[in-house]
Amino acid sequence: MVNFTIDQIRALMDKVTNVRNMSVIAHVDHGKSTLTDSLVSKAGIISSARAGEARFTDTRQDEQDRGITIKSTAISLFFEMTEEDLPDIKQKSDGASFLINLIDSPGHVDFSSEVTAALRVTDGALVVVDCVDGVCVQTETVLRQALGERIKPVVVINKVDRALLELQVTKEDLYTSFQRTIESVNVIIATYNDKVLGDVMVYPEQGTVAFASGLHGWAFTIRQFAQRYSKKFGVDRSKMMDKLWGENYFNPATKKWTTKSTDANGKPLERAFNMFILDPIFKLFDSIMNFKKDVAFAMLEKLDIALKNDEKEMEGKQLLKTVMKKFLPAGEALLEMIVIHLPSPVTAQKYRVENLYEGPQDDECAKGIASCDPNGPLMLYVSKMVPTSDKGRFYAFGRVFSGTVRAGLKVRIQGPNYQVGSKTDLFVKSVQRIVLMMGRYVEPIEDCPAGNIVGLVGVDQFLLKSGTITTSDAAHNLKVMKFSVSPVVQVAVECKQASDLPKLVEGLKRLSKSDPCVLCFTSESGEHIVAGSGELHLEICLKDLEEDHAQVPIRKSDPVVQYKETIQAESSVTALAKSPNKHNRIFMKAAPLGEELSLAIENGKVGPRDEFKARARVLSDEFEWDNQEARKIWAFGPDANGANLMVDLTKGVAYLNEIKDSCVAAFQWATREGVFAEENMRGCRFNILDVVLHADAIHRGGGQIIPACRSAIYAAAYVAQPGLMEPVYLVEITCPEQAMGGIYGVLNKRRGHTIGEEQRPGTPMYIVKAHLPVAESFGFTADLRQATGGQAFPQSVFDHWQLMNGVSNEDPKLIEKILSIRKRKGLKEEIPPLDRFLDRL
Amino acid sequence: MLYVIGLGLSDERDITVKGLDAVKSCERIYLEAYTSILMVEKEKLEAFYGKSVTIADREMVESDSDTILNNAQNVNVAFLVVGDPFGATTHTDLVIRAKELNIPVQTIHNASIMNAIGACGLQLYNFGQTISMVWFTETWRPDSWYPRVKENRDIGLHTLVLLDIKVKEQSLENMARGRLIYEPPRFMTVNCCVEQMLEIEESRGENAYGPETLAIGCVRLGTPTQLFISGTMAQLLDEDFGEPLHSLVIIGKRMHVMEAEMVRSFCPEKYQVKFDEIYKRDYE
Repeated sequence: MVNFTIDQIRALMDKVTNVRNMSVIAHVDHGKSTLTDSLVSKAGIISSARAGEARFTDTRQDEQDRGITIKSTAISLFFEMTEEDLPDIKQKSDGASFLINLIDSPGHVDFSSEVTAALRVTDGALVVVDCVDGVCVQTETVLRQALGERIKPVVVINKVDRALLELQVTKEDLYTSFQRTIESVNVIIATYNDKVLGDVMVYPEQGTVAFASGLHGWAFTIRQFAQRYSKKFGVDRSKMMDKLWGENYFNPATKKWTTKSTDANGKPLERAFNMFILDPIFKLFDSIMNFKKDVAFAMLEKLDIALKNDEKEMEGKQLLKTVMKKFLPAGEALLEMIVIHLPSPVTAQKYRVENLYEGPQDDECAKGIASCDPNGPLMLYVSKMVPTSDKGRFYAFGRVFSGTVRAGLKVRIQGPNYQVGSKTDLFVKSVQRIVLMMGRYVEPIEDCPAGNIVGLVGVDQFLLKSGTITTSDAAHNLKVMKFSVSPVVQVAVECKQASDLPKLVEGLKRLSKSDPCVLCFTSESGEHIVAGSGELHLEICLKDLEEDHAQVPIRKSDPVVQYKETIQAESSVTALAKSPNKHNRIFMKAAPLGEELSLAIENGKVGPRDEFKARARVLSDEFEWDNQEARKIWAFGPDANGANLMVDLTKGVAYLNEIKDSCVAAFQWATREGVFAEENMRGCRFNILDVVLHADAIHRGGGQIIPACRSAIYAAAYVAQPGLMEPVYLVEITCPEQAMGGIYGVLNKRRGHTIGEEQRPGTPMYIVKAHLPVAESFGFTADLRQATGGQAFPQSVFDHWQLMNGVSNEDPKLIEKILSIRKRKGLKEEIPPLDRFLDRL
Repeated sequence: MLYVIGLGLSDERDITVKGLDAVKSCERIYLEAYTSILMVEKEKLEAFYGKSVTIADREMVESDSDTILNNAQNVNVAFLVVGDPFGATTHTDLVIRAKELNIPVQTIHNASIMNAIGACGLQLYNFGQTISMVWFTETWRPDSWYPRVKENRDIGLHTLVLLDIKVKEQSLENMARGRLIYEPPRFMTVNCCVEQMLEIEESRGENAYGPETLAIGCVRLGTPTQLFISGTMAQLLDEDFGEPLHSLVIIGKRMHVMEAEMVRSFCPEKYQVKFDEIYKRDYE
């Protein structure tokens, strides 16, 4: 803590215009955490010497061991701009001191939910791209997520040292590869851009792209070189920046700038970027790596870089690292880019509010968020839980969007199912303490104003994973996060010693809290199930469970895959079900929802909390629904937000609203446990055509209506060509050409289906893309390594639900599958007969 | 033969002579025990009949009626219902099923809350539609009975309100999990009923009745501890009525002087001034 104290930071938190909340996002292994370290070293929390090795934000032992980030980690940095740079900040700011709240997030797809949680609390993102690998599948995923949350990106092209040392490319080749990478980033940005955010494509000549070597601790933007040269050439810096990228050439003979790549005599000219920026770097690399120290020292003198005596003794890479760090310090370049180009909370919340807040845009909470008002009603979103040193307790980690949170403040803790005016999922409690989260450490603070990221003590037991904390009775929820991954892989766990069961149950509760995505539940047959987004995610979760949360030895089953039950046609007959007392009858038909609408629901584009008229318009405009019918959606399910709908198509039925609750409960139940395998349903629409009800409420309570409605749903699905869907991964495999045969062999054996292959430009590596059923993915990585001599690296990410061939109760393969699921769940091993659900008149 | 036999309101001795004869002729005897309850244990019935009695809960009557009707073409089966067999409507289904199976059915009637309520002093001729009151939940507050009360009140008739009982109900979660775990029995009190009715009146505001409307809380009708307390609805909110079962009568405007005299006698002395005042204002 050389450069700042907590008091200094706390003072800065009040100057919200000088706060930047940002996440570092990237594909796995593109060097986020290493790069983050160089920022941390600049802000002075760990000594410069250890930057590049320590991975400060990887706080867990397994993160350090595996060399990957698993949990996102927050850290606050302090940065002082020079006076002359201040005018470059195109938004409101106050003074030259800046507070940067940085969140380092994991790159492996299995942990994308951590990225989602990080993005929610930040306004800007530093997108790290490996200059050799280029834009990869996870780069695209996280960038898409960021834009969806209206997060402004800046890009850093990392591992430039690799290109120089390992690939030995020419300057022009390097320039082309930079340009190609930036282009592919911009293609993604253009595809997913939100108009409200404005043009957020990145341009090196505007300083929104940096080039770096996280490992060596150096980085630069064109802005910095422009600064050096603008004095020399006597040109304005911003003009200079334009000249240092793209089709701009300098003719040393005439000392003239031109946009043509040849001079008057047709002699090729050198690109300005190559000449003024790459050239000194290349020369430094060349002289130092080839042990021409005298040449190097001469250059250093010109560049005004002074070395200490012991540093002069160094050789090779070590010397290179020292020199480059002094020449182009990474922290300086990146922090400057962040401060200048990423929005402050004041700037960002103005356009983020409509994406964040579920309530009306003109109530006091919305206004408080839009203006980032520290005196407004408190609006705080808890995006994840971070374990404390106190066993079983968690810091609620989140962002204050409006108002000020202070210790002892009495707040309303609203879970994801809270609705204004109801008491469900609502607690009124006091915040015990407030802390600033800084990597491995936490620092207590008194209070925290709007626009900052904070940890709360004492609210963890009232929230499952995330939620809204407010002081306003009228506050709606801040929108629930949508994850790009779903828990499709699950295992059953049990403790090796029966007496450990209470510890296991408690451990599962803690595990569920500590990870945004993991699901822990008890199955019908009493098994404890842990569901995660992939093999690696599960592995980490189970390790945490065994070692931290439960601390008892556990046994785990083979991983199993979740399926979805669906329908492939409209019900062939109207399904009728009677209540147990026979006085109530429900008539129902099912119809497929269509893949587009199912996806729209899963992506949150159409949801249960939309205003119903607006939703009806979307449904009728884009999904060919009848507008009147679209206004009569009773529920989404399962869990009140799944991709199944119940629609009321009855006409003039008395007391109908008095049974709605029971019908919705039945629908949630039935869509959670489908008719054949008790797996979730997906893509089904259930239309209630008519109901006959007993005149007296006592004879049509939940006990009568719920079983009747559930039977009706099951019967309607049963006669609608029921089917099964399995989850499918998109796998991207990077490998050299000679390993491709091995890849195809493994893919074929596992029902994989290749959808594309291409050579990565400028490298001998190929990228194979394929669809692979999740059920076939266990041990895939190991198999692939074996078949290719360890040369192929796969990344799998959940892609879609694939309908399996056949009808559930007819196709022998599906029947076998269903029976095996039922057996696992401890259900009767039979296909339930239709007459169990269908009543006759 | 299927005998559907009313047991009356109080104890084992309320059964009719005809009913007792029928019971004694039966091979199997079922006691329906969820739409209402008798004030005595099943064992007392068995001792009195000299036969064993099977308790038929909701599952059995609604989902497993075949067991009850099994072989009733050839032997006599008794289905005992507290009160009168057709006071509670849910048993028509059993009769229809019996007919489908060509089982002859004979009904033996008995006293029911529907006629015994006359004991409160109001004439049965002056009652309108009967309603029942269910427990409200956070999200389920049915008020479809309200228009009926209003219709009755508009033409000056009394309204008998039957109160919910939950003898053997599953919680929603247990039902969803298919677990046969039941909640402890619950019986609605007059206080709870009045509270819910006043809440709905307040939200609908159609003036069907109000806190100053006269009503009678009628509890344990037909038993030795039978009790009536009359007064305004607001006043009944705080009276202690004791053990179940409870019912309530909302008094209509067309109250005969004889009715009024009787009802007044059930009013606690300290409230009688108020009673007279409201009677004079709204009912005379």
